[in-house]
Parts: sequence; C-alpha cells; structure tokens
Amino acid sequence: MPNSRDYMARLGFDAQELSSRRHFFQLTDEDLARLAALRPFAERHNDAIIDAFYNELLLQHPESRLFFTDQAVFRRAVTAQKRYFLQLFSGVCDLDYMEDRLRVGTTHQRIGVAPKWYLGAYAHYLRLISSHLFREQGSSPDSELSNRSIQKIVFFDMSIAIETYIAAGVEAIQRHQSAIRELSTPVIQISERVLLLPLIGTIDTVRAQQVMEKMLARVVEAQARVIILDIAGVPVVDTRVANHLLQTTEAVRLLGATTILTGIRAQVAQTLVQLGVDLSTMHTCSSLQEGLEMALSMTGRAITTRGA
Amino acid sequence: MTVRGQIPILRIGSTLLASIQVELKDTTAQALQADMLSVLEKEGARGLVLDITGLDTVDTFVARVLTDTGRMARLMGTHTVLVGMRPEVAATLARMGFSMQGVHTALNVEEGLALLARLVGARPMPT
Amino acid sequence: MTVRVLSHQEMNIDNEDDVVLVRRAVRTLAEARGFDSFAVSALTTAATELSRNVWVHARKGKAFIEEVTDGDRTGIQVEFVDQGPGIPDIEWSMAGGHSTAKSLGLGLSGSKRLVDAFHIESEPGKGTRVRITKWKRF
Repeated sequence: MPNSRDYMARLGFDAQELSSRRHFFQLTDEDLARLAALRPFAERHNDAIIDAFYNELLLQHPESRLFFTDQAVFRRAVTAQKRYFLQLFSGVCDLDYMEDRLRVGTTHQRIGVAPKWYLGAYAHYLRLISSHLFREQGSSPDSELSNRSIQKIVFFDMSIAIETYIAAGVEAIQRHQSAIRELSTPVIQISERVLLLPLIGTIDTVRAQQVMEKMLARVVEAQARVIILDIAGVPVVDTRVANHLLQTTEAVRLLGATTILTGIRAQVAQTLVQLGVDLSTMHTCSSLQEGLEMALSMTGRAITTRGA
Repeated sequence: MTVRGQIPILRIGSTLLASIQVELKDTTAQALQADMLSVLEKEGARGLVLDITGLDTVDTFVARVLTDTGRMARLMGTHTVLVGMRPEVAATLARMGFSMQGVHTALNVEEGLALLARLVGARPMPT
Repeated sequence: MTVRVLSHQEMNIDNEDDVVLVRRAVRTLAEARGFDSFAVSALTTAATELSRNVWVHARKGKAFIEEVTDGDRTGIQVEFVDQGPGIPDIEWSMAGGHSTAKSLGLGLSGSKRLVDAFHIESEPGKGTRVRITKWKRF
C-alpha cells in the first residue's frame, strides 16, 4: 500500500482542498458539532446498526457473502466497521480525518470491493442509520438537521473513497505501461563489447526517448564499444523517427561508442532518401547478419565456422 | 602536474590528462580552457584527454567550452579526446540538439589513451 | 485539471554562483521526489540554461522552484523572472540552432526540448518570464 501522506499529496489532498471540499458539501462547523452531539446515540446503536448491516445485507447477497467466508475476516470487518461508524460522530473533519478515509478507500480497493458494492452497501447503511435515528428521536426539525449532517459527512467520505478507486485504476495502468515498455526494449549482449537492441513496433517521441536512455545506460554499464540497433521490426520510418535515430547515434557517440543501424528495408531506404534525410554519418547495413560482422570486426573479433 | 585553476592537469608521457571533478561554473570552465592552452603552448603535447566522469550536468555553455578547447588544441597540433560522459549528460545534450561533431570521444581514460595512440600514430613528437 | 502547488522555494539570481545554487536546488528536489536520473539531468540542465540567461542578460532576477500536482501526477515547475532587456524576437530566439555570443539561442530552444511544458513571455525593456514544468514519469 502506498504511503498515505505521499498519496494524499499526489491526489492533491491538502488544507486548501479540504476546505474547498467541505465548502462544496456544505459540511459546516455546526454540522460537525451536531455530529459530536450525536455521539451517545451512535454508541447506543452501534452494535444494532452494524449487525443489521452485515446480517441483513452483506451476508444475504450471494456475491458480497463471498468476502466473508472466513470467520476471522468477518469478525475483523465488523470490528473495523464499528470503529469507522463512531468516527463519523467525532465532530472532527481535518487532514488526519481525510487521511484515515483515504486508508479505508485503499483497503476496500485492495481487497477487491468494487465501487458498486461500496456504493450499494453505503446506501443501505445510511438508511439503517436514519431509521434508528428517527425511531429514537422521532421526526422533528432537530432530528431532520441531524440526519442531514450525517448525510453530508457520509457523502464526504464517499467522495474520497471514489477518488482512491480512480487513482488505483490509473496507477495499475501506469504499472502495466511501464512493464510493457521494459519488455519492448530488450538489450541483448552479443559479445563482451557488443550490444544488440532489436526494435519492434511503432516509434513515437516518448518511446524513442526511452530507447535512447536504455541504450545509453546499457552502453556505459557494459562498457560496450558497439551497439546494433535493428529496425527491421519498425513498420514506419519517417523524418521524425529518422531524427530520433540520428539523435540517439550522436548521444551514443558522445559516450565513446558506435551505433550500427541494421534492418533497413528497401522501402525505408526509399522513403528516407525521398524525404531528404541524411543518414550518411551513421553506420548502416541492410541485414542484421552484416551488422553483426561489422560490429565484431570493429571490436577485433570475427564469426568463424567451428572446426574450419 | 599543473594546478592553476581548480582543475589539476596531469602529464602521462606526451599526453595531458585533465580530470574535471568540480561542479563547473562559467568562469571555472573558461579558466580551465585557458590553463590547458597555456600548458600546450609552453610544454606541448600530442594528445589531450578531458575526463568528465565527475560532471553530472553539462549545459550548452560548458559543452561549448569543451568543444572549443578541443578545436583550439587541434590548431596547436594536439588531438583531444573527451572521455567518461555520463549517459544522462549525453541524452540531455543530444536532445537539446547540441552538436559536438569533430570532438573525439571514448568510454573511459584507458580507451581515450588508446584512441590517442591510434590518432597520433608514429608521428614524431615536435620539439 | 488545475495545477496545485505543494511546495514553494524562492531564490535570488544576482551573481554567477547563484546559477550553480539554483541548479543544485532543482537537482536536490528532483532527486528527492524520485525523478529518474535522465529526467533529473534534463530538468537540471534546463534550469541551468535559464538561470544563466537571467544572470548574463539581466544581471538580476529570481527563480521560483515549485513542486506541483494536477491530481494525476506530480512534477516540478521552475519559473525565472527578470527585469532585464527582454527578448525582442522570441520566435527567432526559440528557433535555436543559431547562437549569440553568449549562446542564448540554443539555451532557450534546447531547454524547451528538455521539459514537458515551456512558457515564455518577454517584452523589450521590461524583462522576461520563463516557466518550465517537468512531470514525473511512471
């Protein structure tokens, strides 16, 4: 689980956001005072409300029941829920409160409580609280106001939880992207001083930059003299891609190594010349085989037939 | 060894080696260039190795001073090899479009010296 | 989405050493926030180019170093402000490739290529304001 303070910062949960959000939800100090005054009510009804919540709803539905097949898990969830319920009536809504709500959200997300379960369950939960409130205090302007304060803090909590769901989704996409990126630029060590990077797929600016960085880092790490960049698997090589290749070649040269570009298909050669791209400063070959031979001869080695 | 500015210039046979370990500001870079050229003028050298392994940032000003130093040394009959550039520095300079064409490069000091030996060949040392 | 400022730091640029100090402050922040080494180098170099421009052309100015977020990502934003001579033709200066004696051209266009967002305002005789932003990569 990410560090909650870092997470708060990333989601932009700071004092300014807290005050703006409270303003939008019209969650005033009077609401908080009213909630604090309801604390004895909450303590009296805590067990009844939470037990009903679990027994009437969560354990009745075939899918939500699956979360609680383990007795220990069930007991832990009930205890946590009772604690959470009382916090609604703490009369405090500050950054620590926000952080705590954030943690509840990330926990739900982690254990796989989908937003539909979360929202559906909360709607039921809210109905339970209201019915207990009106049963005990009757319908009066006062109990109406109390009920409204409860609604405000509950919706405030939900707004934070929903954002953690979204953030977690975005994070998962980012993790996958970075994994795909890593897989899409494999650098292979051919000999002590020769590396090979076969490029496959479309090259855009972001990917070109990643390829360059990976090549440079690996060249220095392996102290490689030559790196072969094979572009046979790149479908389109236009001026933009060519410029990235030139930039990468220059950067590799600055390190004191040489780039050999291989896999230049006839069509690519045609396009590049027609576009007026000058690759004459680069070592180029049509096939990877030739590139390998060139690289090995540059490093004082050669491909020989065994036993010859 | 010559230390005039903040950067020591070491002599290895007929080659000078300057290893830049301090964070360069504009005037330090310019002082280094002046020091190098004055050593070349007084003592002569076949080759010059500029080791920038210690530099974590090389902006266009410092890059230009380094490139110019190489070109000036060449006019005085000395080959220059820039060695030890960090991957991040190379990427940054290339992305900015800064061209160091004409400057020889090598991965490390050892390879820089080997490259100089090839460049200078059997040419006799001018006396 | 709106950009929110998480931390703010203000530095004066009125001598050559300040250029180095701004560079160090930017590097330290980028490293502390977990930027990868290539991004650290790119941002630090752009900040060096721009703070040098302030020192060389205006002799006096300020750098504002901010940590920012737009909800989905965090980044570092650096703004350079001076009341120097200004840049008469920004487009020409930004075209890069050419350079004046003090290499303003490549400094500006090169810096732009190193960051994710680049904003420049300048009025001859009034001064220059340049803001760069680099977002942390995933």
